[in-house]
Amino acid sequence: MGNSFQFKWIFIVIFCLFTQVFILRDVALANVAFCFIYLWMIVKAPIHTPLLYLLLLGFFLGWIVDIFYNTHGIHSLATVFIAFLRPAFFKVLTPVNGYDERSSVSLAEMKALWFFPYIFLMLLTHHLILFLVESSDASLFMYSLLRALASAILGTLVFGMLELFNQKN
Amino acid sequence: MNQLFQFLIRQRIILLFVLLELINAWSIFKYDDFQHVIYLNTTNRWAASLLATSREIKTYHHLGEVNAELALENTRLRQEIFKLNALKQPETKIPYFVSSAMLNRYAPVASKVIDQSTQMSQNYLTIDKGLVDGIKPGMAVISSTGVVGKVMSCTSNLSLVVSVLHIENNVSAKIKSTGELGYIKWPGIQTEVVEMMDVSKYKKVVKGDTIVTSDYNVVFPPNIPIGLVAKVGLEKDETFHQIKVMLLTNFSTLKYVYVIKNHLLDQQIKLETLKPKPE
Repeated sequence: MGNSFQFKWIFIVIFCLFTQVFILRDVALANVAFCFIYLWMIVKAPIHTPLLYLLLLGFFLGWIVDIFYNTHGIHSLATVFIAFLRPAFFKVLTPVNGYDERSSVSLAEMKALWFFPYIFLMLLTHHLILFLVESSDASLFMYSLLRALASAILGTLVFGMLELFNQKN
Repeated sequence: MNQLFQFLIRQRIILLFVLLELINAWSIFKYDDFQHVIYLNTTNRWAASLLATSREIKTYHHLGEVNAELALENTRLRQEIFKLNALKQPETKIPYFVSSAMLNRYAPVASKVIDQSTQMSQNYLTIDKGLVDGIKPGMAVISSTGVVGKVMSCTSNLSLVVSVLHIENNVSAKIKSTGELGYIKWPGIQTEVVEMMDVSKYKKVVKGDTIVTSDYNVVFPPNIPIGLVAKVGLEKDETFHQIKVMLLTNFSTLKYVYVIKNHLLDQQIKLETLKPKPE
């Protein structure tokens, strides 16, 4: 964990937030599929990252996004929630060899059959909470489900594509 | 007590999780109380200024489209104004009504100035609308601030406009407050100043009066502003005032103009050619 390593993460945090707030905020495919790239940090953090840090990071990221989305806490709620559930997902999806000390969440190391279900579960949980709390209306229930599902599929595709750029290291 | 602390330390993750989620839930459900305290939304000063900058960058590329849209909208509004003006009851007591042909007489077409001069003694503008858009020679050209000129010739997509700043282009005009008639002529020197001719020295002209196009104009719709009286002079033995008029239109910065289609022009010209020639 050298200095450059930490700078890399700080850079990624700022980059993700910028992209989220200034570009992706206005993007919605067919008005149902949204892309929440700021979750990249929570999803990709090294497997043995202390949960304490993850929760605080989720809270921080969520609040920044909340400020710009005018959602006053919903993003933060959902993000802290998936940060908390992350170890549980790891337990459910244990790879054949188990997790070793240096494991990172990446397509190259973990294979597609582990990677994509993991991303999809994380995103779907987040989006379900997000859209259901946001609509907070029983009549919009099915629509919120559709939005969550569509967004989770889109997010999985986008994260998969981002992962392709990460293959070499 | 010690055991309690031990327990708290062991369970600190869960406690933190619960605490954070409680803060969020409180914020979600008590939003109205909460937002007045710290403004954690886009009304936050920093967030707003960041968003404004980003919007500026994004919209900069669309300025052209935005301009065109605004010009179109202005076209519509202008047509509305022509209609309302025509509808306005004259001050006579004669029963008068406006026919629909008269009401819809003028239709503006927004167009962009692609080339122009103001330095010569005979100045022209080139605009990006032509025969295809229904423009014909003889039509009036105005801007949002006042008269510009009249169409001289057209190709299928472009038109050449004789500017008011053309020493041989006269525009029939009147003084708005008194209704005195005359015509506007450019002496060919300053691009801001024209002269108004043919106003009798026995009529009163005051500095600051508005000069507009007259009602008896074949080219321009009535009451389009031309300029303001800047100076009134009178030479000995002259019968007319010497009136200098400051133009309201700034010709050097013209970007968009309106060509005014006059649907009754043909009829008007036809009638006027039937006038008996004075012997």
